[in-house]
Parts: sequence; structure tokens; C-alpha cells
Amino acid sequence: MYRTGKRSQIMSEAGYTPPSATATASPIAELRGVTKRFGEVLAADDLNLSIRAGEFLSFLGPSGCGKTTALRMLAGFETPTSGEVRLDGAVVNTLEPYRRPVNMVFQHYALFPHLTVAQNIGYGLRQRRPKPPRAEIDRKVRSALEIVRLDGFEGRRIWEMSGGQQQRVALARAIVNEPKLLLLDEPMAALDRKLRKEMQIELQNIQRRLGITFILVTHDQEEALSMSDRICIMRDGRIVQTGAPRELYDQPRNRYVAGFVGTSNFFDGAVTGLDGGTARVAIRDGIVLAGRALAPVAAGQAVSVSIRPEQIRLVRAATGGETGWPVSILNRIFLGEHTEYLVKHESLGEFMVLTPRQAELSDGPFNAGEQLTAVWDAGSALVLDKD
Amino acid sequence: MTERGRNIFLLAPAGAWFLVMLVIPLAVVLIFSFGERGPAGGYVPAFTLEQYANLPARWAAFKNTLILAPAGTLASLLIAYPLAYYLAVRADARWKTVLLVLVIVPFWTSILIRSYAWIFLLGGRGIPALLAMIGIEDVRLINTPFAVLIGIVYGYLPLMVFPIFVNLDRLDKRLLEASSDLGASPWRTFLQVTLPMSLPGIATGCLLVFILLMGEFLIPAILGGGKVFFVGNALVDLFLQSRNWAFGSAVAATLVVLMLGSVTAYMRLIRRLGAQREDVALM
Amino acid sequence: MTKDNDYISKRKFMEELDRYRRGSVTRRHFLGVTGLGTATAVLGAAVPALRPRQAWGQGSIGDRVVLATWPNYHDPANFDAFTEATGAAVDVNVFGSNEEMLAKLQAGGSGWDVFVPTNYTITTYVGENLIEPLDAARMPNFDPAAFDQRFAGPGIVDGTLYAVSKNWGTTGYAVNISKNNDVTPTTWKEFWDMTMDSFSGRTMVHDYQLTTIGNALKYFGYSFNSVDPKELADAEKLLLDAKPHLFAINSDYQPSMRSGDAWMTMCWTGDGKQMNRDMPEIVYVLGKEGGELWSDFYAIPKGAPHLDAAYALIDFLLTPDVNAKEAAFHGYPVADSRVNALLPPEVLNDPILYPAAELLDALEFGAAATLTDPNRAELLARFKSA
Repeated sequence: MYRTGKRSQIMSEAGYTPPSATATASPIAELRGVTKRFGEVLAADDLNLSIRAGEFLSFLGPSGCGKTTALRMLAGFETPTSGEVRLDGAVVNTLEPYRRPVNMVFQHYALFPHLTVAQNIGYGLRQRRPKPPRAEIDRKVRSALEIVRLDGFEGRRIWEMSGGQQQRVALARAIVNEPKLLLLDEPMAALDRKLRKEMQIELQNIQRRLGITFILVTHDQEEALSMSDRICIMRDGRIVQTGAPRELYDQPRNRYVAGFVGTSNFFDGAVTGLDGGTARVAIRDGIVLAGRALAPVAAGQAVSVSIRPEQIRLVRAATGGETGWPVSILNRIFLGEHTEYLVKHESLGEFMVLTPRQAELSDGPFNAGEQLTAVWDAGSALVLDKD
Repeated sequence: MTERGRNIFLLAPAGAWFLVMLVIPLAVVLIFSFGERGPAGGYVPAFTLEQYANLPARWAAFKNTLILAPAGTLASLLIAYPLAYYLAVRADARWKTVLLVLVIVPFWTSILIRSYAWIFLLGGRGIPALLAMIGIEDVRLINTPFAVLIGIVYGYLPLMVFPIFVNLDRLDKRLLEASSDLGASPWRTFLQVTLPMSLPGIATGCLLVFILLMGEFLIPAILGGGKVFFVGNALVDLFLQSRNWAFGSAVAATLVVLMLGSVTAYMRLIRRLGAQREDVALM
Repeated sequence: MTKDNDYISKRKFMEELDRYRRGSVTRRHFLGVTGLGTATAVLGAAVPALRPRQAWGQGSIGDRVVLATWPNYHDPANFDAFTEATGAAVDVNVFGSNEEMLAKLQAGGSGWDVFVPTNYTITTYVGENLIEPLDAARMPNFDPAAFDQRFAGPGIVDGTLYAVSKNWGTTGYAVNISKNNDVTPTTWKEFWDMTMDSFSGRTMVHDYQLTTIGNALKYFGYSFNSVDPKELADAEKLLLDAKPHLFAINSDYQPSMRSGDAWMTMCWTGDGKQMNRDMPEIVYVLGKEGGELWSDFYAIPKGAPHLDAAYALIDFLLTPDVNAKEAAFHGYPVADSRVNALLPPEVLNDPILYPAAELLDALEFGAAATLTDPNRAELLARFKSA
């Protein structure tokens, strides 16, 4: 039941390449101009997405953004109003869920209470025609239980299992069928924080081990960032940006993405001048910030300048070559590895600065009320569309 | 007050009710069943097993009841289940309440009035006349066991529909999606998820209808033309016409024993079916 | 007079339903009539505020009187007149069978002032000490000499007057002669033979031991009232042989006869008259061998709470012109020659209501012993549950 994962098993911060990123690989699933209306409500608006075999893709967005609708169209529970859903190249818009090589882990697991753990897991195998021999079903069920580390729980009843165990059963019930796509609808929402962390790691491990394409729906950016090969950011039924976590973090398409993936400080203003890839943005009181414009901007356009808190440094005295902004410290939160400062500039207003412990040891610590200078590299500021 | 004392205090009204409404009447019936008929009817104290020895004289009534009560229960189930299923699973939420009320509406009218409608429908000018129009001549429906069965199903349908409806309505529809997602066709989903999950409703509905049918007398009297005789009819006759209270009590006591026996057997069966499932209490 | 305890005809039922809808009777009356349970109905006293406060003739009889009787057996206008005259409202309890009436009186506390027993129950009531001897002096409108003793006689037990005649009638059978080549049968033998032959599946018998067994006994020429075990055994055999050929065992035979589902049925006078009037092909036959003659009475139960009002009501209803209105309303023959003098000749000459003397002479009154005979009761029950 294990497919050979074509993807890299190592995910390093620096040299990470998404699996199957080679241009030749054909997508395992695709959304082409998919729109879904529920009466007046536009739940999905012109979705376009290629899903690569073996990748771990997340739909990320707030509730009501259309991510669950997208998942349900892949599963077959919803039929697109227009556009095409393709699986393995074939259009499956109206193909019933039970005919799709796709399985889902439901938000509240939807385990069958009248069946044992083993019967739940074997359910999908028993629906196959011709029906596999009993021994084969048993073997696969046992193997799936091993994968989710629930060996020996075969005869248990669902209500005898804890929330985390139920989650594993739901996962085993899906993966045992070796689906082309494994859809996970907020699978960790009902778990407590600690269990959620464990499950995230375990899910990742299982995904790598089995090489099944995982599609996760979540509203938890941390979850999406830590687990996914690629993230599809959604808003109001539309895909805002799709990319690897790093890409979304470093090159957000707009202010919404930058705010959703990690945290950032935003300074709103209008473009006053362009110089190659760099734009100058007038904030207020004659203050002009410079930043890289990832997308083309025009003079006079209303934009936000985004600077990540960790890209700002606080210094007692500004050195030359850097733009420095005099700020006063309003608040200080010690986070262990980092310290988070809330600072205030007369014209720019309040913003966040994240200082590594290392820097604190040499320069700091800074105390509330202290007058300092905030500095950042000109290249780390991004000029983003306000939407 | 001690906890024990409080419990006794709280249970007293129910206990008194139980005693007055159930235990005492049953005891009276039991005592009467060993007595004799008075010269002008009624009851004369005695101790004799004569009444029980005479039970075979009502064999046909017992036979009819023991055949038609389960048959009526089964027929009600077969018709009620799809109806309840439609109401709970398929019907548009906006119409659900209206449709439910429509199921109850007949209950606002006496079963007697409703059964009278069937006299016409099953009589010579009703369905048989329609059948004659398409060439099926001389079909007699009224005053047959079949007519009684129709009346039973018609009369007791809501009692069967409701428990099943409530059960199916509460069924987590995501389980059906999960089943479909795992490759089960709608029919197999029904067999493997919906049906087993609705067993408690079926069990309740069947029990309700069966118990009431065991004591039924009105529908056989009206639609059976006095020819399809239930134990209930025998009792009506014995108490109100021939006024043989002693024999009537013996018949009634026997009916109670039969009912207890079959209900116990039924509960056992249900409990065995539900032995491994505490997700839903079957009874 | 319908003697069964559960059913009324569909037409009557619909009439009752209409009346109920129009609100002219209370729900309980409706339930009582429809056999949904023995229930007290309050006709005159439905709206207490509307009762006359002051009696206008004799103010001493109280404000109400309770009557236990049969369905559709009185002209409500007469009750209104009584209330107007005396200030006493008439509460009507409707019953379906003599057995039910007896059971209620035996249980005690019926609260009745006047009830309407049938001839064969009177000696039982006397024996059980449930009935009040009547004081003729308190009923000035009761003239014993005016009554045909054939019908009024059962009201006198051992020389004491216990009940006064209300109406009488016969039990024969109704047959749809269009299904019999327009030939009218004349005997009970024909009734049973046709049932098991050309009328198979089309005959109804009463759900009533007195008449069903009695008319089966007539097949063999035995007494309608026989309790002889050998004769009863013959009757039982006949009944069991006939049972598979019956359309129904049901005293509510009018609907089935009218719809054509049934072609022949045991039948009481009033029903025979009503069916014949609407469908001339249904004729009423009194078997030559005999059969039942019956008579209903007014009587007062022991311990009647409004004794004065009870006498007043009986006396009022026996007034010839009131009684004639009653007869016009329900259509049953009256034994009082003063009343007959007021009835139109076509009624008196109606062969269904007033049969020929030789047919009448062959009829027997049902006996108390017949009605209460446990063997006959059990025989009918065996027949029904067979």
C-alpha cells in the first residue's frame, strides 16, 4: 500500500523544493475556472488550481472563504455551477463521491458508531467490487492501524476512543483505501493544542511515508505553514495566492496574504515615485518609506508598506546607511527565543518589533519608555496592494 | 430526609398510580378469572379452572390476533419506513413540518370515523368498482382479513412513522456522506448505515404498534364485518354482551400473559441485536 | 330499534356528524351515539343559562330530568316543549344495547330518572331490584285500557306495573329481490338456504344472540326462545355452516344493503321501513315460521334522583298528541290506540309497520331467560370467533 514517494524527504529551510515540481509532471487534480453558487451566495468564484501528485496542499482562509466548498467539490459532495473539476485529467464534475478515488477525513470524523474500529477502517475496502478477500481486508486494516499507531484497538467501539484516537481512526479509514487524494476538512479543529501539535507532525510523517496527495482545509495559518508543501490562500470564494509557505511569506501578493501568513506591520500610503523595483510611498507628515514592489504599481496608487517585525531592529544609536526612525517603547513581551516590543513613532504610529535573544544579549534589553531608533534594510520593506 | 426517604417520597405518586391503575385492575382480572358467571351475568366468587379450560373456545380469536398483530406491525413498518425516511432525510426542510403535521392530522379524528371511510373505499362501490372497470370482476375486500390489515396499517401508521422519523432525523447526515465517500452506493449506504442506525426507531415503533394491535377490537369490528375476530372483540362480547365476566377475565389474563411473553421475547431479541452498541440505546 | 352496542348506520353517523358540526349536540352526545363510548349527552341543558328559571306550570319537579334511551328515538322538539312547560331540562343518555343499560344500572349511581328497557329485560330488572314500581295515579295521561295488551303486557310483572309501553316492532329480514329474480322469499328456511347458495357472500346476520340464534332456531321450526341444548346444537351447526357464506355479522346493515354489497339481512322494523321507502326492491319479510316481536317501555330505575320529574316526563310523552309527534319523528309503531287514531291511515296500513295478523301471531317475545342464557351467549361467541 505504500507508494514510492517521489518527493524529497527532507524539508530544510533553505533548500526545500516542493515535490513533483518538475514541469513535466501532470497534475493529479485540477480546478479550472470552478464556480459554485448556493442560490444568491457565491461560495467559490473562478477557482484555478493544479494539484500535484504527492504534495501536501492546504486551503487556508477564514470561515466562509470557500475552502470547504472547494474541498467538497473535489470529494464530489458538491457539483460546480460552472468550470471543471478534473481528477487524473478526466472531468469529474458530476461523478458521485462513491465513484471517486478520493477519501476524506471529516471535521468531526463521522465515524460509524454502530461499527467497531476495525469495521470502520475496513468499510471502504468492503465496498469494493469485487470484494477483496477477508484476509486481505484484515491485513490492510491492521496495517492502517499500525500506521496511525492504534494497533490492538481493532475491536474497540468508537465511543470508547478519545478524541485524538477517533481522529486517527478517521485517518486510517481514509488512507486504507489508498486514495489519489486525501481530503482533510479541519481535522484537528476538535483537538486540544498539545494533541494538535502531535497530530500535525504525525500527519506529515504519514503523508511522506505513503506519498498520498493530502489536501488540508484549515483556518489555522500556523498549521498550514508547518505542514504544507503549498498553501492556497482563499478569501471571499476566491484564491488570492497559491505558493510554498516561504514564497507566501516572502512574496505575498497583497496585504491580505502578508497579514494571513505570519504577522506584519503595515503602513498605508500612496506611491510617489518608482525606481526600478523600488517604490517610494508617502505615509504622512512628509514621511516617505521605500520598499520593493513585487507587483507593478503606479504613481499615486494607494498601497501598504509591509515590514515583518523580525526584520526591524532596535538600536540605541543609529549608524549610517540605514534609515532610522525614532521610537519610544510602549510594551515588551518576553517570548523566550524572541522578545516582542510594541513601539511608537510619532508619525508612523505603533508597530511591532521582534528581537532575537542574540541581539538582546549585545544591545538590550530595552525598557518601556526608552527612546530608541528602529532600523530596517530598505530591501526588507515590501510595497503591497492594499487588498 | 435521608436519600432513601427522599427517593420513596419522590416515587410515591408514580407508585400509587402504578398500584391503582395497573396492579389492582390486573389483580381483579386475575381473581375474576377463577370465578363463575352469575345467573344474570357478571361475576360470582368461586375457585375454578373452568374458565381456563374453556379457552379453546376462543382459539380462533387468539389465532387471528397472533397472526394479524405481527402481520399488521410488519406491514405498518414496510409502509412507514419509506415515509419516515422521506420526511427525515429527503424532504425539503421548509416542508418537513407541514408534511409531519399532515401525518398527524388523521389523529385529530377518531379512528372510528376514519375506519368508516374505509368501509366505503373497500366496499362494492369503492376499489372493487374501480377494479371492475379495468376488467377485474367480483373482488371482495370489505369484511376480509385483508380489509382489517389495511385498516390496521392505516390506523397505526403515524405511531410507526414517528419513532422512526425522530430516529432518522437525528441521524448525523455526515455519516451518509462518509459512507458515500468510502465508496458505498446510496443503496449500500442505506443498508449499511441508515438502516442499522435507525434500528432503535424501528424497535420502538414495532413495539408500540404491536402492543396496541394485540388489544385491538375496533378496526376488526368495523372492517372485518364481525367475521374477523380478535381477542379484543371476544372481550367486548364477553363483558358487554354475554356478560360473562369470569370467562372474559380468563381470556384477558391469557392475552396479558401472551403479550408479556411476546414482548419479553422481542426485547430480548432487540437487546441481543443491540448488545454491542451503546451509541444508541435500543430500548 | 338498533340493539347492537357499537355501531350506527353511516347515514345516521353523518347526520350526527353534521349536527355535531352545527353545534346542536354536545361532543359527548356525539361520542355516545357514535359508539365511541357510553357518554352522557346534554341536550336541553347544554347551555344552563338558557334554561327557564321559573317553572311555569308546576314548579316543584326540579330543573332537570335524566333519560337513558336509544339513538334517534325521540323528537327533540318534544323535550323543548317539556322543558318549557315544567322548567326541567332533559338530559339524554344514549345507549346501544340493553346489556349496556343493565350493566350501568347494576354498577349503581347511574343518575337516571327514566330509562327505556326492552320487554325481555324487565323481569331481570325486577329480579335484581333495579326498577321502581310505577304509580299510575301519577301519570294521568296513561290510560291502560288504550294499550294493546300484546305489547304493553310485559310491563306488568306479577301484577305490578313496572313499565309503560313506548313502541313496538318486529324482527324479520330485508332482502333485495332484484338479486332474486324479483321473487320474495317468505320463510326463515329460505333465508338460510339462499345464504348458503345463491346469496353466498351477500347475507348479513345480527351481532346479537337473541335474534341471530333465534332465527336460526326458526329454520328447524324450534321456538325463537329455545334454550334446549339439542335444539341449540342444531342452530349452532346451521350458523357454523352458514358463516363462510356470510357477508358480515353486524347489526349495522343499512349501509351495506344500500350500497349493494349485501343483498339480504336480518332486520328490525324501522330499518326495514327506511330501506324499503328509499329502495323499493328491498322488501321486509317476516318469516312464516315466526320470529321476534319486541316492545320498548318507559320505566324508572330504583333511586332515581328526580322522581317527580321522571313521572312528569313519562306522563308528558304518553300524552297522545305528543306521542303521535314522537311516532312521526322515529316511525316506530305505537301500542296506544289513542295515538294510532291520530296517525295517518297509510301508516296504519303499512304492512311493514303493522303486519298482517297471522304473521304477527307467529311471532314470539324474546324471553328474559333467552337473553340471559349463558349457553346462548357462548354459542354466539363461538360462532363469531369460529
